[in-house]
Order: sequence, then structure tokens, then C-alpha cells
Amino acid sequence: MNYKKVNYNSVLAHFLIIIFTFISLFPIVWMFIIALKSPGESISGFSSIWISNPTFRNFVNIFDKIPIWSSMFNSFFTTLMGLITTLFFCSLAGYGFAKYKFPGRDFLFYFVIATLLIPPEVGAIPLFIIMRKLNLINSLWSVIIPKAATAIGIFYMRQYIIDVPEEILESARIDGASEFGIYYKLILPIIKPALATWALLVVIARWNSFFWPLIFLRKTAKHTLMVSISLLPVSEGLSTPWTVIMAGTTFAIVPVIVVFLLLQKYQKAGMTTGSVKG
Amino acid sequence: MKLINIIRRNKHPYIFILPFFILFLVFKLYPLLWTIRISFTEWNGMNEPISVGFQNYKDLFNDYMFWDAVYNTIIYWLVGGFFIIAIAMLLSLLLNYKKLKGLKFFKVVTFLPNISAAIAMGLIFGMLFDQNLGIINELLEIFGINRINWLTSTKFSKIPVLTLYIWRFVPWFALVILSGLLKIPIEYYEAAKIDGANKIQQFIKITLPNISRILFFCFIIVTVNSWKMFNESYILKGPGTSNISLFQYLYQSAFTTFKMGYASAIGVVLIIILAIASAIQFIIRKRNAEI
Repeated sequence: MNYKKVNYNSVLAHFLIIIFTFISLFPIVWMFIIALKSPGESISGFSSIWISNPTFRNFVNIFDKIPIWSSMFNSFFTTLMGLITTLFFCSLAGYGFAKYKFPGRDFLFYFVIATLLIPPEVGAIPLFIIMRKLNLINSLWSVIIPKAATAIGIFYMRQYIIDVPEEILESARIDGASEFGIYYKLILPIIKPALATWALLVVIARWNSFFWPLIFLRKTAKHTLMVSISLLPVSEGLSTPWTVIMAGTTFAIVPVIVVFLLLQKYQKAGMTTGSVKG
Repeated sequence: MKLINIIRRNKHPYIFILPFFILFLVFKLYPLLWTIRISFTEWNGMNEPISVGFQNYKDLFNDYMFWDAVYNTIIYWLVGGFFIIAIAMLLSLLLNYKKLKGLKFFKVVTFLPNISAAIAMGLIFGMLFDQNLGIINELLEIFGINRINWLTSTKFSKIPVLTLYIWRFVPWFALVILSGLLKIPIEYYEAAKIDGANKIQQFIKITLPNISRILFFCFIIVTVNSWKMFNESYILKGPGTSNISLFQYLYQSAFTTFKMGYASAIGVVLIIILAIASAIQFIIRKRNAEI
């Protein structure tokens, strides 16, 4: 008899990772199940796990409860504009710090990092007043502008741009390229992988953000998706419309999961894919 | 004149970095200083603020709701932080285990909780923890435990919040710890194996000392995250102040009862706590030459 030696460590590791996977996925999968339930079906306890008549009715019903089109639009708009502005201003500042020598550069860079010490949330009250004075309450720009250039983004971009060889910038200058032209035509294409990674983080953070939209976007027409779905439980008095709520959370969660899975591959692309060739 | 010349000669980089500094001044530094000023006034956000000296701080000291919020936040910080780091540690060890089949798949899937919005997940957890419908109570019944009113009792309402908090943040910290594990030279383990050390001994003698700095970094980040917790406790609101977080109490004081001065005093308390935590983090990071 020839037994293959059982590796208990390996068995235990596989067992544990499967438990982790189950716990990670269960609430999300369960949300889909409840969202697909037709009105008569059980949504309580273990009996809720089986669906006999899947239906998309809840996804239709949610349109009566919250203005889903405008919420979706507001979420897409703030995420997209937030993404574009952050990518632009962070990479531009990162380029400034990485590729120029100017008086006070190191001090200013440390200053940028030091601003991370202050969480913006603690200034929420004056920030609200400032937004009111700027007439930005109920404007989608109120959640886009303050985060258009962030310290972490600048830090990250600088680290990446610093590795771009000096020579290609010099040769571009000799060819008569302007400083902004170098950034736009040379730096941006090279740092695409870094932009993609940063983009992934920004999209998730902006789409999921709740606190700032909650205090700045107070009109129903200006609510983002997160604010809208947070109001769902109280939308129907005493009985909680669980199936419809789960349809709402599906709208909120699926887009980021899709983006995450798509950019997962892009993230792997390293510096080598850039156009750097000595 | 000299300064103008310097700026003119280096105008490009200065223009490139300028937007950040403008945004910082207008939307971060100025509000921060203003918060401190408002905290010494009584103000509803509309009329003229009335100067009241340290009255808001005295009121805070005697406000049981404030102390409830502080207590809850400390629970979220210590209990949540402990479980987050401990579980993240286990997950990172698993994801670093080379013999694991389908490692890539597991890496992606176990990260999903972190990218799922806290508000959406809060609603889902609200249903999982529901007294009558919830799957959690049904699970407990199998073990002969009576149904618990998780979200409507003052005693238990922190548990759903903690569960959601831990569930969402374990993946992020696991990733951070994993980055530390990957930096440990494999020779260390090979040498230990030759010396006859088992897995547990290897973990205590090699793994832990080598990631102690990363773990401390994690602890600081957990501290900052916990003290500004808002979403989790907001969406899984329990009765009264039973599971309110300190930052949520600030929000409530400012935007539902319009006590701006009082809320700002809470803000100043938070600034002090977070500044201490962030300063420690900053020093550690600098020492590790991560900047």
C-alpha cells in the first residue's frame, strides 16, 4: 500500500480560505437572491436562500421609491468628474515635484505629506458654511472640487514620475516642446499604469462616498445613489420593503465590482509597458 | 523683488503644484481653524454667533450622550481594531501560502468586501441581523440560542456595526500586511527549517518580528478610521445613543439640532485625538523611510 502523505497544513489552509471566501461573498450573493424574489416568496431565514420564481420586479419597483435615474446620474457625474480632476491635478503636481528643481521644493513636498495629518471631516461645519457662501450647496461640484488634488495622489504620482529618465524630457525640450506639452504628450502616456491604479482607487472611493454628499447635496434631485438608498428603509412606514432595498443596493454595488474586476488586469501592467527606451 | 524673480524663473513647477495649495487653504486649513473658533460660540448657523468661552466644553463634559459616543467609539476602535488586525493577519498568511490552489482568484474575491459601499452593505447587514427575518438569528437557534434583537436593543446594537466594520476592513489590512510578508527573505524560513523549527515557531520567531512595524502602522490606521467612523453606525442606527459614534454625534449636533458651536467643540476633541494618532503615524513612516 502506498499512501501519499497528506499535508495537513495545506488542507487547513484550503479549508480556511474557503471559509474566508464564503464570508466575503455571502452577503453580496444573498443580496442578489433577495433582490430577485417575487412578492409571495419567503425572505426570512434559511428558507430565503432558494428562489422559485426569480423576477426583476423589484428593480422596477425601486423607481417609484427613489429617483433612481437622477441618483445614478449624480453618482456617475461626481465619480467621473472627480476622477478626471484628480488624475489631472495630482499627476500635474506630481510632475512638478518630480522633475523640476525649484526653491522650497522639498519643504513644500513634505508640507503636502504633512497635510495628511488633518482629516477633512473635522472641518465639516465651516466647510458647509463655505459651500453655502460659494453657492455650491446642492451643486454636484461641492463634492468634486475639494478633492480635485489630494496629497496621497500627488505623493503616488511623484513616486512614479521620478523614474522617468531625464534624457527624454531634455530631448523633447531641445525639439521645442513647451513645459505643459511635455507633461501632456510625454509624461501622461508613460504613467498610464499608475493612472489606472490611482483611477481604480479614486472611482471606488468617490462612488462609495456618503458623508460629503449627505451634507452638501440636500435636495432629492441632487442626491447621489448612496444617499438615496440610505433613505429606502424609511420610505414605506412600518414594514421595511426588503426586496426593493436589496434591488437598490445591487445598483450601488455592482458598478464598482465590475470596474474592480476590469481594472484588475490593467493594474498588473507595470512601468515596462510605458514608452521608456533609454 | 528677489522672490518675484525666483517665482518668475520657476513659474512652471509653481503653477503645476498651485491647485493643491489653494484647495488645501480654502477647504482644509481654513475650515479647521474656523472650527476651533466656532467651538467657543453658541451658533445655529444662521444668526450671529454669540461668544460663550469654554461653555461648550463644560457642557460636553456633563453630556451623557457625548460620553456614550466616546465609549462606543472606543469599543469600535479597540474591539474592531483587534479583530480587524488579527483576522487580516490570518488572511494575509493564507494569501502568502504558495501551495494554495487558485491564489489569484482568492485574492480578488476576498477583497470584494472592501470595495463594496458601506451604506449598501449596512442595509444588507441590517437584514441579516433582523430579529425576525435575519439569517443570523436562525443560525443561533440551531445552537439553541434565543433570537436576539440586535438592532433594537441598547445592549447588542454595537455588534452589527462592529461586524460590518470588521467585514469591510479586513481585506484592506490583509493586503497591507501581505506586502510586508512578501518582503521577508525566504532564506530566513529555510534556515529555520534546517534548525527544525515548526510552523508556529517560525511564525513567532521570524514572521512576527519582521512585520511588527507594519502591524503598528495598521494599528494607527485603524485608530484614525475608528475615530472618524460614520457610515457603519449611521446606517445601522440602534436605539438612542446605544451605538452612535463620536463623529456621528458631531454630525447630529450640527445638522439635525443645529448646535454648531457645540458640534465644533466635539470636532476639536476629534482633531486632538486624530492629530496625536496621525503624528505618531507620520513619525513611524518617516523612520521607515517610506516617504
